Amino acid sequence: MSRVLGLTLFLGGWELASRARWLDPFLFPPPSGVGWVIYELVRSGQVWPHFRVTVTEALAGLVLGTGTGAALGLVCAGFRPLAEVVEPAMALLNAIPRVILAPLFVIWLGIGMASKVALSFLLVMVVMFFATYTGIREVDGRLVERVRTLGGGRREVVREVYVPSVTAWVASGLKVAVGFAFTGAVVGEFVASSQGLGYLLSFAQSTYNASLTLALIALVVGVILLLFWGFGSLERWWLRWKPEYRSRRACPKALPRTVRPAEQVP
Amino acid sequence: MSALRIRGLEVRYGSHRVLGGVDLELGEGEFLGLVGPSGCGKSTLLRCVAGLVQPEAGHVEVFGNPVRGPSPEVGILFQDDALLPWRTARENVALPLRFRGASPREAQEQADRWLRRVGLEGFGDHYPSELSGGMRKRVALAQVLAVRPRLLLMDEPFASVDAIVRHVLEVDFCRLVAEAGTAVLLVTHDLEEAISLCDRVAVMSAGPAARIVAVYQIPFGRPRNPVTVRAENEFGPLVRAVWETLQVEVARMGWELSA
Ligand SMILES: Nc1ncnc2c1ncn2[C@@H]1O[C@H](COP(=O)(O)OP(=O)(O)O)[C@@H](O)[C@H]1O
Ligand SMILES: [Mg+2]
Repeated sequence: MSRVLGLTLFLGGWELASRARWLDPFLFPPPSGVGWVIYELVRSGQVWPHFRVTVTEALAGLVLGTGTGAALGLVCAGFRPLAEVVEPAMALLNAIPRVILAPLFVIWLGIGMASKVALSFLLVMVVMFFATYTGIREVDGRLVERVRTLGGGRREVVREVYVPSVTAWVASGLKVAVGFAFTGAVVGEFVASSQGLGYLLSFAQSTYNASLTLALIALVVGVILLLFWGFGSLERWWLRWKPEYRSRRACPKALPRTVRPAEQVP
Repeated sequence: MSALRIRGLEVRYGSHRVLGGVDLELGEGEFLGLVGPSGCGKSTLLRCVAGLVQPEAGHVEVFGNPVRGPSPEVGILFQDDALLPWRTARENVALPLRFRGASPREAQEQADRWLRRVGLEGFGDHYPSELSGGMRKRVALAQVLAVRPRLLLMDEPFASVDAIVRHVLEVDFCRLVAEAGTAVLLVTHDLEEAISLCDRVAVMSAGPAARIVAVYQIPFGRPRNPVTVRAENEFGPLVRAVWETLQVEVARMGWELSA
């Protein structure tokens, strides 16, 4: 609630300041003006082809990166020698700002969608690799023993322990990865492209069109927030067993009744 | 036939010799308490019997069969109630039944019945994180008992709950296990608990190369109330006798550490 209020105050103040010319409306166009630009972009249909391109790139990067990262993490967790090669490489990739590779991808793959998918893929892949790899390595050995002593074999251990604990990590990784997927796509377009929201952004920038720039930023942020919300709900449902995701339910405080006297259980 | 027969059991972790020739026998339906200084190898012993640790020498037989891995006849309850956090209480209890080929419905029905028996009726849909420590212990107990093991290994099962809950759990536990006729090997660091629950109490020496140094017969019959039995006349002297043996081992360990 306070967040909504804060945002309203901020936008309202900005609107006022811009209209009263305390802020240069050329550099800081009022939110209503930006809203109007977004409306025009959407209404005229101008933005759709670009929008579609960026979303396609980001989703392709997300899907490919998640698949590859998860598979690589899986194999590395199971096969030590490979992990010793791959893990440091991933750690290095994780440490550098990966977007600096964007120009390289443009040289290699051209200014089409491929170079953007590649960048998005790279950003996502590193995140998902670590989510999967760590997830498997952090599996609670006590739970594995528990399942084994209860009569579970290899398959049961994987199904009951490995899969749920790894998906918990992957679910949290995915939320980060969604943002990264769009970062990759938009930054890639910004560097060199002929279509996409990033292309429009660089066009808006080169013409000093602050309204258009802000409108495009708002659009990208909107899409990411939407996906965040989607993945967030998915995560909350999937990890509903975690105390922090638990739907409000009366927590039993009272000591339960003692055992019933002899009752035959087959 | 004895429920458990351990002969000359030796276990080694790398160069560290944990168990150095343990002999122990447990009759059918008998409760045996095992006390010893911490770090002496009590958990290791239980893990050998459960088939989770490979011994260096000696042999372990459960109902006449050598242990080669986890067996359906042996249930084990660890100190941390390692329930699967992503499964509800009911699903946790149903799990071992499912492993043994019960249909989902059958397993659920039995799980519900066991939850009722441990006093958790109506909590089947709760996740472990929604239950109190004592309630999780009850779920864990229902989970091991649901497949009716003939030998139950317990590793400091009541250590992490407060004293009152612990007494309630002890009483319930005694009743449930006595009804089932299960033999129990109970590891605990609380010797009063060992004496109040068990038919015999074994004292383990300080490591390395731990052995059993003494076994005490507990004269109280069963069924008994493990809380009120503490008020019996013989209880005090028994505690002192066991403690005197244990004290020697604890002191030996202290010397070992400072040496
Ligand atoms: N997996 C392991 N690897 C190496 N050493 C271990 C392992 N488990 C236990 N130990 C060592 O073996 C000894 C006995 O441990 P444990 O059986 O847990 O003792 P207790 O249960 O009596 O406190 C300790 O010194 C402990 O450090
Ligand atoms: Mg222990």
